[in-house]
Parts: sequence; C-alpha cells; structure tokens
Amino acid sequence: MRRQSLFRRILIYSGAMLLAFFCFSPFVLVMIGSTLPEVNLISFPPNWFADPPSLANFNYIFTGTIPESYQQRGALRTMISNEVRNVPRSMFNSAVVATAVMIINLVLGSLAAYAFARIRFPWRRAAFTFVLMSRLIPIVAIAVPYYVIVQRLGLLNSYWALIAIYSVLTLPFTTLVLTLHFRALPPEIDEAAQLEGASPWRILRDITIPLSLPNLVGAGLFAFMLSYSEFLFALFITTSSDRRTLPVLLGSLSTNTDVSWGLLMASITVGIIPTLLLATPVWRFMIRGLTAGSVK
Amino acid sequence: MGKSAAVARAKPRRNATRRSGDAHARTGLLMAAPVLLLVALFTLYPFGRAIYESTRVSSPIFPPEYVGLENYRDVISSRYFVSAAKTTLLFTAITTPLLVVLGVLVALLLNERFIGNTVLRIGMLLPWAVPATVTGVIWKWIFLDSWGALNAVLYSAGVIDSYIAWLTTPKLAMMAVVIVFVWSQLPLAAIFLLAALQSIPDDLYESAALDGASAFGRFWAVTLPGIRPMLVIVALYELLMAITNFDIVYALTQGGPGSATTMLTYFTWSESFKQLNLGRGSALAIVIALGSLLAILLLIRAMPRDALVEDAT
Repeated sequence: MRRQSLFRRILIYSGAMLLAFFCFSPFVLVMIGSTLPEVNLISFPPNWFADPPSLANFNYIFTGTIPESYQQRGALRTMISNEVRNVPRSMFNSAVVATAVMIINLVLGSLAAYAFARIRFPWRRAAFTFVLMSRLIPIVAIAVPYYVIVQRLGLLNSYWALIAIYSVLTLPFTTLVLTLHFRALPPEIDEAAQLEGASPWRILRDITIPLSLPNLVGAGLFAFMLSYSEFLFALFITTSSDRRTLPVLLGSLSTNTDVSWGLLMASITVGIIPTLLLATPVWRFMIRGLTAGSVK
Repeated sequence: MGKSAAVARAKPRRNATRRSGDAHARTGLLMAAPVLLLVALFTLYPFGRAIYESTRVSSPIFPPEYVGLENYRDVISSRYFVSAAKTTLLFTAITTPLLVVLGVLVALLLNERFIGNTVLRIGMLLPWAVPATVTGVIWKWIFLDSWGALNAVLYSAGVIDSYIAWLTTPKLAMMAVVIVFVWSQLPLAAIFLLAALQSIPDDLYESAALDGASAFGRFWAVTLPGIRPMLVIVALYELLMAITNFDIVYALTQGGPGSATTMLTYFTWSESFKQLNLGRGSALAIVIALGSLLAILLLIRAMPRDALVEDAT
C-alpha cells in the first residue's frame, strides 16, 4: 500500500476521534453518572464531583443498602428505589427469554435451513420466500392482534408468549443466514455420506452442524441479542413487575418522573453488560456473513 | 470461483437428489415444517386479525360492533393523523439521507489503516446493539432540560449562560430524536457499506490511479458504482426503520412536546394501548403497513435476485 501523506493522516485520525467521541461519549457519561450521588447530578451550577465517586448506587441495586447521600439530605426516593431493585430480576427475565429463543432458533433454524439448502421438496422455493417475506410485515401491524391473542390465551405475563413471538421474529433471519451457509459447504461430503446410507437427519447432526459451529454460535447470539433488547411486545405482554424484561423496566424507569438519575445510570451500566460481552462475537459473525455473501 | 467450476459441482448433486425419491422430499418438508408453521401461524393469522379488528369498534365499555371502513375514515381524517404523518415524513426525509451520507463517510474512514481501527470497528456496534430503550434513557439524561449532561457540560465549559430546554422546545426535541436515531442506526449502515467497499477489487483503483484520476475522481468513478447496490439497500432499510421507529420516541420524548415528535407508530401505539381503541389502532397499523409496502417493494427490487433465493430449477 502507498504511504499515507501527513494531511491524509491528520484527516483520518481526526475523523476517527470524532467518530469515537460520537459513539462512546454517551456510555462514558453514563458510567461517570452511575458513580455519583443524585444531589451532585442535579446541582446547579453543575458540580458533579463535589463528593468522591462511589459504588453506592450499584450496592443499592444488588443489596438494597440505601446510599448514604440519600439519607444525608433526607431525600429518600422510595418509588424509584423499589423499581430499581428489579434490575437483576428483569435481566434474569430477559436472559431466560433470550436463551430460549436462541435454542429454538438453533434447533428449528438449522433443520429448516438444511432442508432449504440441501433437499429438494415441493414448493421449496415458495416456502423459503414466504419465511423471508414474513419479516417484511411491519411490527405495528401485528402488535395489536398479538396482544388480543396473547390475552385470550391467558398468556399475559408469561415467558411463553415472549419466547414464541421473538422466535417468529428472529427465525426468518436465522434461517436465511444458515441456509446460505449450509449451501456454501462442499456438497461432496453430503453425497458421500448419503451413499453410505446416512439419512438427512444423521448428516445434519454429524456432519453439517459440527462443520458450522462458528456460524451457529453467531446466528444464535444474534437472535439472543435481538430478543434481549426487544421492547414493544415486551411492553404490553409483561405488566407485572416480576415478569418485566430489562428494556421494559428501563423504559418505565425513564418515564418515571420521580427518577433518581444516579441509580438509573447504575441500572443501565449493569443492564448493558451482556450486550458489551456479546458485541465482539456478534460483530465478527456479521462481518463474516456480509463478506461471505459478496464472494460468489 | 469460476462459473464452469460451479456448474461442474452442481451436476452430481442433481443426479444424487433425483435418485433418492419421495421419501427424501418428505424428510425435507418435515424438517422445514416447524419454521413454516410457526411463521405462518404468527403472521398470517395476526395480519388477518388486524384487518378484522380494524373494521369494528371495540372498547372496554361497549361490545364490539361492525362498522366497515369507518375506522379508516376517522383515522385518516383526524388532524392528529395528518400531523403524525407529516412528522414521520419530515423525520424520514432528514434521517435517511443523513444516514446514507454519514454511513459512506464512516465506512470510508474504517476502510483506511490507522491505529485503533479494530477497536473502533467493534466498538461502533455498541450504539446499535444496546436496547433501544436504553438508548432513549441515556440520551434523555443527556438532553434533559433541567440537569441534563449536555447542559451541565456546556454550562461548565462556559458555552451557554443558562440551560437550554432541548426536549421541551418542539424543533430542538425533533433534532434530539434525529440525533439519537442516527446514533443508533449509523453503525449498521456503516458496517454494511464497509462490507461493500471491501468487495471492490483493488486493481480497479490502481488502474484509475494510472489513468491519472484524483482521489475524488476515483471515489466518483470506482467507489460509488461499486457500492451502489448496497447504498440502495441501506437507504431503503433506513427508510423503513425511520417509518417504523418507536422505542426512541417512547423513551425520549413520549411524542412531545405537544405532538412535535409524535410519529405514526407512536400515534398507533397510543391509540391502541393508551386510548384502548383497538379498532382504530388496527386501522392505523394497516395504513402504515400499506405505506411501508411501497418501500418494501422497492427494497426487494433493489436486492439482487440470487441474494434471496437460489434458482431452484
């Protein structure tokens, strides 16, 4: 490659810094905010660092010990406090739902993908197109009927409703990705196994899946992440506090006028840890999927 | 891979599948059945249901009653709808071009070599990956009128003398929603465009450079045509996302101040779940669905056919 000129390098680095600032500064602010007592955050003129930073907000979320700074000024905010204590529970709810969706995606998705990729059956093409196109129906158009159905089935506030809905929302994408991937595997292996008398189930289990593990993990995590973050359906399906998912809880905290921002920031910091952990593998998977798709 | 190699590879497979008969096909259908049934059950039925609901009046108080297309007429002629539609249009018209241009710039930047590139590429994903309500809450704190982070920082730095009412001034609130939407959507747009950039062969640039093309000329003659399909896809995708965006408005402004940031999806949600008027909500949803359908049809047309379905014959 050519050596970069000085001007070009200045341009690149200032662009990179600008981009990093735009992308990351909100997260940095949140992390700073999470260590500060409420009184400092709302002070005017702003004086955030009047007291030394502490982890009292985090301590409250997990143990219920009320931060000293709240008691000092006699400004105890019980409403928000009670809600914030649900953060670990809501993360658990989100994780349960997302894990179930991931498993369903991997099992059903790889079955369907293998059929679409390798087996000829009537209406295969129509079926494949239908699964993909289903995702093009705008979510708002089916939100109300979902609510009515879930309500009639008595499944409001249940994991099952969320798991089913998220599976339907994520399966088309998983199926597409896995189909493209399975198709890219050399067919000779399948044919050899088939000549040996192996059934498609056997080939899928013993050959295709072991060969595709990285992609399966990527597709699974992708489904996990989308389910972990979904808001609209969770909002009307989970109404009781012990079933609310993390996005719903945070949404509710944010519209609570009695909100304590220090605690809210701490809740966010805790809540996005799974996302931070998943970012790298999911990104790798996305880039691989995109570049693999472009190489014919 | 060359075309002849692909043909040579496909041939034995075709023979093999032809030999194995109906049993094979049945297995295939069986394998695909769970996904097919789930998707059919959860899309066809609810969509039919939405159409059904949209033709009747139902409320917690009165028994449902068939009213034909009245809901549609009420909804479309209401001034709230017109206002929400205008807001949606404005929002879409600002964010889509903005995202495409910024997406190209960021993709070009990430395609260069510099220290920290990998960190930035991976970190870039975060704004997209965090739940949208989290995005809303974070930015709500930043823009908050009374003690928001932006006000505090600007005030401390001496840029402003008094706090600015970001979220309660209609124009500024709209700007805030635009910024937050761009923040959350830019990563995906940039990464898609980056993938397209990387698929442009290097020798095209080299021959353009040999022909004496300037950096801008090379961008115009090589880069832009190379990423055009992806540009179209990204533009239409972001168009769809802008029309269906809900979470950010919900967490950031609740459609306010007044109705300054009430867009069609938020309006639909509030009709259905705040006013509990499922009939009108459904009618609205279907109007939006039909509106988005246009964008969707364009999206499919823009996609290369073989990206969706391998020719099965």
